[in-house]
Amino acid sequence: MGRLKTIARRSFLIGSAAIVGGVAFGAYLVKRDPENPLSLDAAAGDAVFNPWVKINADGITLIAPHADLGQGAASMQAMLIAEELDVELDQIITSYGRPAATYYNTALAAEAVPFRSNDEGFAAETMRSTMGAVMKVLGAQVTGGSTSVPDSFDKLREAGAVARETLKAAAAAETGLDVSQLKTERAAVVLPDGTRMNYTELAARAAQMDPVTEVNLRDPAQWRLIGKPLQRIDILAKSTGTQTYSIDLKVEGMVHASVRMNPRKGAPMLGFDASAAEGMRGVSQIIGLPYGVAVVADNTWRAFRALEEIEIDWDVAPYPAEQDQHWAEVAASFVPERLDKEWRNDGDVDAALDGAEVFEAEYRAPYVAHQPLEPLSAIVKVSDGRVDIWASHQLPRFVQQRVAAKLDMETDQIHLHNQHAGGSFGHRLEFDNIDVTVDVARELPDTPVKLTFRREEDFAQDYNRQIGMARGRGTHANGQVTTLDLDIATVSASRSQSGRLGAPVPGPDTQIAAGAWNMRYAVPNLRVRAYAVPELAPTSSWRSVGASTAGFFAESFLDELIHAAGADPMSERLRLVNDPDARAVLEAVAEMSNWGSPLGPRKGRGVALVTSFGVPVAEVVEVTDTDDGIKIDRVWLAAEVGRVVDPVNFENVVAGGVIWGLGHAMNSEITYSDGRAEQDNYHLAEGMRLHQCPVIEVRALENNPNIRGIGEPPVPPAAPALANAIFAATGIRLREMPFFKTVSFV
Amino acid sequence: MKLNVDGKSHEVDVEDDMPLLWVLRDELGITGVKYGCGIAQCGACTVHVDGVAVRSCQLAAGDVDGDITTIAGLGSPDALHAVQAAWVEHQVAQCGYCQSGQIMQAASFLDLNTAPTDDQIDEAMSGNLCRCGTYPRIRAAVKTAAAKLQGA
Amino acid sequence: MKQLAALMVVLAPLSAQADGLAAWDRIYAVASHPRCTNCHVGDSGRPAWDGLGYGAARPHGMNIVAGESRIGAETIPCRVCHIGAAGPNAVPHAAPQIDEAWRLPPVELAWRGKSSGDVCGQLRNPDANDGFDLAGLVEHVQQSAFVRYGFNPGAGRVPAPGSVDDLARDLQLWAAAGSPCVGD
Repeated sequence: MGRLKTIARRSFLIGSAAIVGGVAFGAYLVKRDPENPLSLDAAAGDAVFNPWVKINADGITLIAPHADLGQGAASMQAMLIAEELDVELDQIITSYGRPAATYYNTALAAEAVPFRSNDEGFAAETMRSTMGAVMKVLGAQVTGGSTSVPDSFDKLREAGAVARETLKAAAAAETGLDVSQLKTERAAVVLPDGTRMNYTELAARAAQMDPVTEVNLRDPAQWRLIGKPLQRIDILAKSTGTQTYSIDLKVEGMVHASVRMNPRKGAPMLGFDASAAEGMRGVSQIIGLPYGVAVVADNTWRAFRALEEIEIDWDVAPYPAEQDQHWAEVAASFVPERLDKEWRNDGDVDAALDGAEVFEAEYRAPYVAHQPLEPLSAIVKVSDGRVDIWASHQLPRFVQQRVAAKLDMETDQIHLHNQHAGGSFGHRLEFDNIDVTVDVARELPDTPVKLTFRREEDFAQDYNRQIGMARGRGTHANGQVTTLDLDIATVSASRSQSGRLGAPVPGPDTQIAAGAWNMRYAVPNLRVRAYAVPELAPTSSWRSVGASTAGFFAESFLDELIHAAGADPMSERLRLVNDPDARAVLEAVAEMSNWGSPLGPRKGRGVALVTSFGVPVAEVVEVTDTDDGIKIDRVWLAAEVGRVVDPVNFENVVAGGVIWGLGHAMNSEITYSDGRAEQDNYHLAEGMRLHQCPVIEVRALENNPNIRGIGEPPVPPAAPALANAIFAATGIRLREMPFFKTVSFV
Repeated sequence: MKLNVDGKSHEVDVEDDMPLLWVLRDELGITGVKYGCGIAQCGACTVHVDGVAVRSCQLAAGDVDGDITTIAGLGSPDALHAVQAAWVEHQVAQCGYCQSGQIMQAASFLDLNTAPTDDQIDEAMSGNLCRCGTYPRIRAAVKTAAAKLQGA
Repeated sequence: MKQLAALMVVLAPLSAQADGLAAWDRIYAVASHPRCTNCHVGDSGRPAWDGLGYGAARPHGMNIVAGESRIGAETIPCRVCHIGAAGPNAVPHAAPQIDEAWRLPPVELAWRGKSSGDVCGQLRNPDANDGFDLAGLVEHVQQSAFVRYGFNPGAGRVPAPGSVDDLARDLQLWAAAGSPCVGD
């Protein structure tokens, strides 16, 4: 509790005085705090308690700034506020609020700093707080990096507590009672005689008071909501087709549109002939853009169909046209001048390899598309002095800044109405849907334009996961792994992405070797070097980012060395592991999977341990080599997450991460030919289907004091654990994803 | 042409070859029916025609030969169909975008096969893609719904 | 000349049989083509996705099993995706549709993986070919939407060799020759 009190003392009132009928609270580490965005919309009589809580006579609104991409972020954020505010989840509504610097993400900055997340040293802490300040200045309201939970955990509970105590103070002022005599429950202050004063009635009075900022957060033992199995607030809507996504929205006077952009991503259009599309039913406009052609129609399908009739002359790709050239560039990158950073160098690797019998192996990981099931779309209305955008985005502030810059307007003239997303996996960190729809909408002033990507267009325009290779050299002696030397070369998705944002990341890319260099093993001689392949096709963050490739390389190569040494994959990892959290998750999966117990014929188990986003995750996969192909029977997973906020959703998201990791390792890649992605729909990049889904058993460990997010960390160990299991079952070592190039799956 | 959707009759003026999906979404504003792939790969657009599941992206408006039921006609938040109730009970959804189609597929399946085996559930439900990976809960929810429907 | 005429009489059945066998080879080229064998499968009820115009041959994706009903009634009916109305079939990988209820042929018409002799034996035996005599078979080939589709599957799918008319003519030739099979 001491730590929480400290944070509460550091919190203070933010920009509240000027608000009509409103007050505001927050917990900030930098003195000049951003304005309270709710005050901009506040009407007289609204009590705007802080950037996260708004109460007026109509009800209680909790602002959940992290976009809900399906991971349950809205429920989780509401739960944290409601816990301290003493409201039930059925008494509130949630809203994304307007994009605002106030909602900047401190946790993501912590992950961007190149220190191992278990390194609590002074330098690491200093760097993290520096980055926190940088994020604040940038106003980076970000959903990503599995940071929604850690970013929210203290901030939102504190927001709830401050609002609760201020409402009690208002009730005390009204009744003349002492605050200590008052209790709160179900959105009301309860007087000693049982009289209930609803928060909504107290709001106007509370709005005129100085908020109470000295608050204690509740002891976890008293929690009613956190850590308890609750119903997700969106579950009814999502089970009845009544959840509205941005692709479903209808705005008065809206027209439909779609686009074909140069499939050689990033290259311009040279010219087009739309004569066959002109006059097609429902088509109102055909708009040539620098990078493609858009059709405006009265129905999405009519726009799709007209687009197919347009002949377009595309310029050549700004990157190599053929996949072989991409691989060649990656293979040519293991050279000193492309060394991005030597991340780890324990012992003396060069001496250990010199003259020794060296085991070597090379691995490959392809480009992979995101392709959430809701295709990209946006609605944009450009009016005089105001732009409205309805879309789902993980970087709402950047959307505003980008559109403002494009239209030469002020940021506060750009109104983004953020929406629930039909999945993202990193896809909604990019801006194509926003950019194109703005370009079309500015041609139709005062008309809302809803632009929907065809699935094929979404594939063609995706910014894929980084392509990469790794080369390992190692030695073993007396049944033990003694040297592990791993060179990893990938394109830098971080640089590709941040370059497009106009905010290039300085220094080495933390992601190229993420999940490998921080392996929690004490191999006597251990070196991990990251090489940056120059930009090829543009890439972006894909669920678990660098660790999805580097984790595969590291845990596959370690497994090969262990087998070469003649050791057991689990016992040798347990012998090498040098961190209590990592040891605990390994021991957990060993116990859960009954590792070492006899298996039937043609069966095998594989294990992998990867730490990403501060979360060590161990997975054991069990497979059978059937006559119809490899069948993944079971997966056991253990993760150290600090604390589980929402256990029902936790298990779902973790299992989903395993499925994501396994499915794409099995059968998904993007390859280029003639400068275009060859895969244009799910039949060519299928992911896992239900019949291929193993039984998944999940265990959360809560030993570490730092709370962590879980959206991404289950992904990286899945692919190597599967490859290691297939090796155990068949003797076939899979060094290249997707695995279906080498073995078949049921 | 005339379409009967969720118990209501609609007169629509569309091309014969417009997929039913787009008639429902853009002409009638019934958006519980989702566009995912357009080529019968994902199942997000699944509706029923005379009670049997159909991928509405594949069915041309001019070929519709029966009454259409969408997720909105299957049940509502106040009056859940047994399959929807099982989906709520198991808290299946993550992003939720595929779930309308999953539910419509499961409802049609359980109407045809009231006592499915585990293998049959895997066969019936593998045409519906879920990118979030809610498959373990879909399996569980289909079983719960089957038991409930049998008891009914 | 007399001698020659006599010789021709003797040779005629032999020549007809050779023509019949040649016709059968062409018939078998169709019957063993992926456009037919994808669905002419045995009691596994598992259709295949061979000859799609891309990728490796593989079982039908999505874990599709048509079951004893041969129409997927136990799990997921074929018609969920394969609409029973003539379609342009212009989109690669979209579910092909024809003006017929999409289904697997009866299990006794399983041809997948079978030799020329085996399929030949099945086809000339009404007990093993869904009750068709040879004239009925010709009529079926000429009228079936499935057969028409096999020669014109669209969108990059590999078509069966020849045409409906070629196949009907070869069946007639084969029948006229006494429906010979290799190894008779």
